[in-house]
Parts: sequence; C-alpha cells; structure tokens
Amino acid sequence: MDIAQARKERIDRGIKVRSDGLYALMSLKELSYLTLPRFLLIAGMLSLPFLMPGMYWQRVISIVCIYSLLALSFDFLAHYVGLVCLGGAFFIGMGGYIAGILNTYFGLPPVLTIPLATIIGGALSTFLLLPCLPLKGVYFAIVTLMYPLFMARIIEAFDIFGGTDGIIGIDSFSNHWVEQYVVIGVVLGFVFGLRRLVNMDIGLIFTAIMDNDQAVKASGINITLYRALAVFIASSMGCLGGACITHIYMWSGISQFALDFSILPIAATVIGGAGTLVGPVLGCLILVPVSELLRDFGTLRIVFYAVILVAFILFKSEGIMEFVQRKYEQFERWTKI
Amino acid sequence: MLEANELMVFYENMLALNNISIQCSENSIVGVFGANSAGKSTLMYALSGIMLDIRKKEEMAGGERITISGDIRFHDQDITSLKPSLRAKSGIILCPERRRIFKESTVLENLKIGGFLATKAQAKDTLEYILHVFPALKRLKSRIGGFLSGGEQQMLAIGRALMAQPKLLLLDEPLLGLSPLMQATLIKATKAIQKEKKISIIVSEQYARPVFPIVDYAYILENGAAVMEGTRQELMDNPDVKSAYFGV
Repeated sequence: MDIAQARKERIDRGIKVRSDGLYALMSLKELSYLTLPRFLLIAGMLSLPFLMPGMYWQRVISIVCIYSLLALSFDFLAHYVGLVCLGGAFFIGMGGYIAGILNTYFGLPPVLTIPLATIIGGALSTFLLLPCLPLKGVYFAIVTLMYPLFMARIIEAFDIFGGTDGIIGIDSFSNHWVEQYVVIGVVLGFVFGLRRLVNMDIGLIFTAIMDNDQAVKASGINITLYRALAVFIASSMGCLGGACITHIYMWSGISQFALDFSILPIAATVIGGAGTLVGPVLGCLILVPVSELLRDFGTLRIVFYAVILVAFILFKSEGIMEFVQRKYEQFERWTKI
Repeated sequence: MLEANELMVFYENMLALNNISIQCSENSIVGVFGANSAGKSTLMYALSGIMLDIRKKEEMAGGERITISGDIRFHDQDITSLKPSLRAKSGIILCPERRRIFKESTVLENLKIGGFLATKAQAKDTLEYILHVFPALKRLKSRIGGFLSGGEQQMLAIGRALMAQPKLLLLDEPLLGLSPLMQATLIKATKAIQKEKKISIIVSEQYARPVFPIVDYAYILENGAAVMEGTRQELMDNPDVKSAYFGV
C-alpha cells in the first residue's frame, strides 16, 4: 500500500483516436487498424480445420465451436441482460434431443433438423423458463441449473427416447469439412451478430433492464417480454450447438445434459474476458484443447479447470480480451505527480 | 489531530483531488463544502482509507487505476498507508454518504454491528447515549433498517458510527435529501455529540447554510481543489462565499 510519487498514464494511441472518426475511411493505415483484429479472428477461425493435424483434432475444433456458442450465450445473458444462466447443459440437451427425434422418428435431414431444433428448442426452453423471468435475483440461475437434472432423470425413469441408451442411428454431416465450416460459420455469425445486437436499441433495453428493472418498467416497457426475447436468443444458440453435437456424434443421450456444458462456458468467459462477446470464444479456444490434452488424467481435469479459473479471478479478473484490447488501443507512460 | 498534506487522488487520468491540505484540531467541527463532483466524497474516502480498498478492487478487476499521493497524519502518526480497518481502530470513523445502513437488520442490530470495536461497557453506554441524542430511535429499536424514513436512517447511520467509539467522526453529506426540519434536528444533534463526547467532526455538505453555524473552520472545494478556507467568521464576511454558498 505504498503511496505513489509518479503514476502511469494511460493514453489512447493516436491511430485509435484518428480511426474513431471519418479519417478511417480515407487512409489505408487507419482502415487496417480497425479491420485487422476482426480479420485475424475470421481468418484464424476459418483456417483452423486446415491447421489441425488429423481427424481427432479437427473434431476438437468442432467441440470448441459448440462450447463457444454456449459461452457466448452465457456472456450475452450475464453481461448484457443481467441473467446468470447455468443452463448450458439444458440447452444442449434440448437441442440435441429435438434434432435426434426429428431425424430418426420423422426422417428429416440435418439441413432441416438443425434449424428446426434451434427454433423449437429455443421456444420450448424459453417457455419452461418463463415463470422465473419476472423475478430478480438468483432464481433464474437455480432453475436453469435444475432443469437439465430434471430432464435427464425423466428420460431415464420413463425410458423414453431410448432411455439410458439414447437415440442411436442419427445421420451425420455429409463430411467433416461441412461439419466444421457449419459450426465455425455459426460461431462467427453469432459473435458479430450479438456485437451488433447489443449496440442496437433492443440491446439498450436489455442493458437497461440489467441496470435497473424498475426504471425500465416505469418507462412503459414490458421487461418480461424483453427478458423472454433475450432468453430465446441465448437458448436458441445453445440448442443449435446441441443439434450440431447430435449430428457430429450421430447419437443423442442423457450425457448431453451433463453439467460440463454449464460449467466450462463460464470458465471460458472468465478467462477470455467477460462482457466482450469475443473473449468467450478465445477462452474456449484455450480451455477445450487444454482439457483434451489432459484427458489422460481423467476427472482430475476438473481440478485443473478450477485452478485456472481461480488464478484468473485472483490475478487477471478482467480476462484476456480486455487486456489485449487495452494494449492495442492505449499506451502507458510515467508522469511525475 | 488530523493533518493531510498535499493530498492528490487520480482516477485513471482524471484528477479528483488536487493538492488538498486540510487540518482538523481537537474538539472542533470542520466543514467541507462544495458542489457535486467537487471531491468531497473522495476526500472522505481518502481520509478514512476506503480509497485504498477501492484502489485494490479496481486493480484486481483491471478497471480504473487510482493513484494516491500526499500524506495523512493522525495524532502525529503517519497513517497514509494504513488499512481502513486499522484506521477505524485508531479512531477515524466514517459515516458514509447515502447512509449505507444494513437494510435487512433491525435498528438495534445495526447499532450492535457498529459496536464491534467497543468493549461491552462502552457499547452499553454509547447505546444509551445514542438513544438520548436521538430519542426518535427509541421506539424504532426493533424495526427493520430498510423501512425507516430517510431522516431516521441518517440518525441510525450516525449512531452506528458513534458505536465504534470515534475520536474523529467523518460525516459525508449527512443532510442529503432531508427536510429542513430534520436537517435542523441533525445539526443540533451533531453539535451536541461533538460537545458531549469531546470528539472532532469533519462534515461535508453541498449546501453550506444549515451546517455553517456549527463549524469552527471550513474548506470550500471546487473541482477537486480547496479554493478557500477560513474560520466561520472569515468565510461569512467574504462576499464571494456569501453569494455562492448562501445565496445572499
């Protein structure tokens, strides 16, 4: 707790200030300053399937993307709508089972089952979560945590949809390139789509509901409706991920309701940078491969996650993305007080 | 008693306190007046040490970087880098802005929490004393704190601060949002507390008029700097102060 004699100033880089204005359209340098990070993300994601050695790691990339979808939906709900959602497993399970049912019982191809599972799963999840939407506080988190357990036990107890064996014999994607580019495209689409959404009027309402729901109500806005809309967006993303996972593994079963799907996205969001909507994807890109590398250690992997999570919260709770963004936009220098 | 020299606080690049030196002698009431965002609360946080806590939290979250410079002495001891809890132990007690009472607890429980640092006998005496200065709290003893009116909550907040056995009491905007009648009651009580408990009080307020009659010395802050200071009489006679802070 020393008392400073000099302090480090943080000052925006000149190029950042210039590229905020019209100047960005007139100079290639400023233009590339703005587009380079976005280009890096898009190009990096698109080239990932080529860079991976062998089928096993290409499959890992698909899983990374599915976790990214969950992490994005968590980040969106937690930091732009103010709902802490522990329901990753619930959404994956809903989407997975709906896609499986549509494919095996009704014979629809993946081209139809995935969009249908997204919409129907999102709507069903929103409907089931509706009762706790007008409430403030911890209820939403508790209910979303309980539903996957509830669903898994119901399927097990009534022996429906294949019971503990799950639904087998589901169609796969036509080949692994299609599989990977579908999930990568979906993730990129949602990253940029959500970043746009939160800056639009509706995003403003979401953020306002998070800050002070009573004041929003007083402005004549039905907050339950908007919360339901936000939950629909987020749960659709999760269900989309679930539908993809079902077609990737050609199987849907109660392990899709496993709590891993709820916990890992949260860890990824913390590591990547909460509230940035890109950070969660970066977090998944780090955490999921690491967890694959640690597969030999079995359930000790969880210990490893926990250590990473605690370390990040203690030492760098802003997350990677915030840190990198600050370094990119600002420089520091010492000044005497 | 308390002496702060060349206190400066930066929130990132924004200067919140600019080279402020203030003094508070034994058994006196010092006023700190200034408009919104003049730096009153920052000064209170810096004196009570809460600023160190805020700095730590911001640092961990990667938020604003807060820089503090200058030195604070209390009873001729350097307390500049002393933790807020230890400052409270040495007798600097902050009664924070907007009261911050424990809303879910009853009035009596609120006071008991405040008396954490006091011995049993001290706590008992102080409790009696608080009910004597603020008779209105007597019938509210078992009421939930959050259901009290603004004035009652402020009485409770001052009472809670008193329970910690202050030698120097920092009152941050005690009159915020209160009716003129309640303001007068609180100001009278503040003076009585200072006299009977023989402590020093630093009180910050936006609107000087209700507080002015009880202060011995006052500082006027503008944009984080102390633009004027003096005894009550000196400031009263100053035409600038008159027009700006009394609306005369």
